[in-house]
Amino acid sequence: MHGRKAYQLVKEFASGEKGQLKPFNRELFGRVLEECNEHHGALQSLIRKMQEEGLDVQTARNADHYGALIHHLSLTRNKRCLMAYMYNRAEIIRVLAWKVGLLHELPEEIQEKLSDSEEEYFKDHAKTLKSYMSQMGLDVNVDMVPPKDPYIKVRVLEDVGGGIILSDKSANFARHSMHFLKRTDAEQYIARGLMEELTS
Amino acid sequence: MASYYDIGDILTDEEFVPVVFHKAANGVIIDPSSETNSVEQGAKVELQLWLAQELHWRQAVSINVPPCFNQRTRLEIQADAACVDLRSRCPYFYEFGCKILPLVGDKTVEFLLLSAFKIRYKEILTKAYTAAYMATSKVPTLLTREETNLYEAAQSSMSAFKIWRMGGPRLQRASVLGRKRKSID
Repeated sequence: MHGRKAYQLVKEFASGEKGQLKPFNRELFGRVLEECNEHHGALQSLIRKMQEEGLDVQTARNADHYGALIHHLSLTRNKRCLMAYMYNRAEIIRVLAWKVGLLHELPEEIQEKLSDSEEEYFKDHAKTLKSYMSQMGLDVNVDMVPPKDPYIKVRVLEDVGGGIILSDKSANFARHSMHFLKRTDAEQYIARGLMEELTS
Repeated sequence: MASYYDIGDILTDEEFVPVVFHKAANGVIIDPSSETNSVEQGAKVELQLWLAQELHWRQAVSINVPPCFNQRTRLEIQADAACVDLRSRCPYFYEFGCKILPLVGDKTVEFLLLSAFKIRYKEILTKAYTAAYMATSKVPTLLTREETNLYEAAQSSMSAFKIWRMGGPRLQRASVLGRKRKSID
């Protein structure tokens, strides 16, 4: 059946949790590309057959024409599925770059899910965002609602290491320690899951 | 072309419809019952919607009503629309129906879709708002994709309201990073 492998690819993407990436399915992607080549080959041989029979390819409507048409439609369908797969993955990567990638590297488990071109896309996107923000002089990545209190209490969940320089002091973030940080400093660590906000 | 990249649209187009070929086609392996690599005129085949739609516009096939809109489903919807398991019939029931409308000669599909949706919409909203207080009901498993989106939107708006009322942490771990695995130590 035509287009079934491409359908599997799209379905695999849709079956994951919303906003989460699965590992890039190189194998299935490659097989869909092979199928496209097969369709293209069959299309060309049918057109050649029509030309040999002396028919005008543009207007003749015989059985070969409809066969060629079906191959052509399958090609465009495969193309659509492949493009949608890449496009939707790229959207998630953009969100990743915005939330996490501005200052630090991606965590290991996410990095192995991306293909090589997607990793480059992530790096380029993060670089562009950084240069944009430095040109504007604003950090647009912080929370949009002005807080009541510029300082918040946080607890460190994972060992970040010592001697980190923040905007007003340097601190040593050992695990399970609690600190009183400026909101803007703490935000990047909270977004990466290294700290949590204490609201009590 | 806003829907070109839309995953839901692509998956809807993959649903099968029964067609009858008006013209023969050579060199394609679509008809599993034919021995040669071709489809004969008058052959009845099940095709995906994306293929059937294009061939229909070029007058090569005619499309019949798909099995998920058949008499049995209609009777069940008339009896009690809220309990019909539309997801097992067709997870894209409404979108699929809307696409089929201009292609098939049957005018009653329209009324079927509308009446089913009206009754189920009310059920979805009531269940979404009250599910927090009861054990999760069976309703979410019966819903199509479209209805599930509505259900989740209603639930998330309900929980956002509760958070606003009671307060909670403003800064959260980025959801795009996935669920954290607790390390064992």
